[in-house]
Amino acid sequence: MKKSHLENLLKEHHQAAYHWSRQCCSFDEDLAKDVLQQVYLKILEGKASYKEKSQIKTWLFSVIRFTAAEWKKKVKNIYPLEAEFDVAETEQEVTAACHEELIEKLPERQKEVLLLVFYHNLTLEKAAEIMEISIGTVRTHYDRGKRNLKELILKKTQHENNW
Amino acid sequence: MKITGNSTDQDLVNFFSEMRAEDSAIVVPPFPKIKKSKSWSLIPLGVAATLALLAWFFIEDKAIQTLDHDVIIITLEAGQNNELKFKIESTTEMESWESPTSSLLTDF
Repeated sequence: MKKSHLENLLKEHHQAAYHWSRQCCSFDEDLAKDVLQQVYLKILEGKASYKEKSQIKTWLFSVIRFTAAEWKKKVKNIYPLEAEFDVAETEQEVTAACHEELIEKLPERQKEVLLLVFYHNLTLEKAAEIMEISIGTVRTHYDRGKRNLKELILKKTQHENNW
Repeated sequence: MKITGNSTDQDLVNFFSEMRAEDSAIVVPPFPKIKKSKSWSLIPLGVAATLALLAWFFIEDKAIQTLDHDVIIITLEAGQNNELKFKIESTTEMESWESPTSSLLTDF
């Protein structure tokens, strides 16, 4: 694929890519910008190459997720446990005001799959491709994520009603 | 598997549509202008500089070689008492040269 054509495709998906980058960076806008810049450089310098086996959006999201994880590792030097495993969910008080704070309460993978499916309108197969896990595992995270988020929304609503 | 209009998921669908609506207010930074790497364009310059350096090194003016002391003429001369003397001279040019075996020609 020609570089100019690839650049045009990236421009088309820039807005969605930025939101996904933000979501992968725990809604930190500055970090999201840096990650996205790094992603574009990787792509245009050929360090990440598009093989046209998947859709450009799926591939781009996958590169963003991977780069964000790299940056997080660099910054924290600690890989969060919940990124690999579903930790036992603890009872927490839900006082979060905005959607972002609420979704951040979910384990990493549950958060990712719900954002990809509900926010970015991708299929579970595509989510599995982006997250580099099997479709079965994605389904598990998806079901648990939905259940947990519903509970969080319910708790938040109850909390708001009590006030 | 695309999400369908599952009624139990409706609250989630609403949650994410509200989130998208909130995000629409966020100013997305413009697509960055990717600067092309200049490292490749410097390669011809580097090659040219190397060639120029090599040319300067090898096509250096050769030192002018003078003939001072390069030609040494050793002659054996008979003195007044018929004693033999070596006469050693050095010169920059061959003004006269006599073959060491020329006497053989004349003697015969």
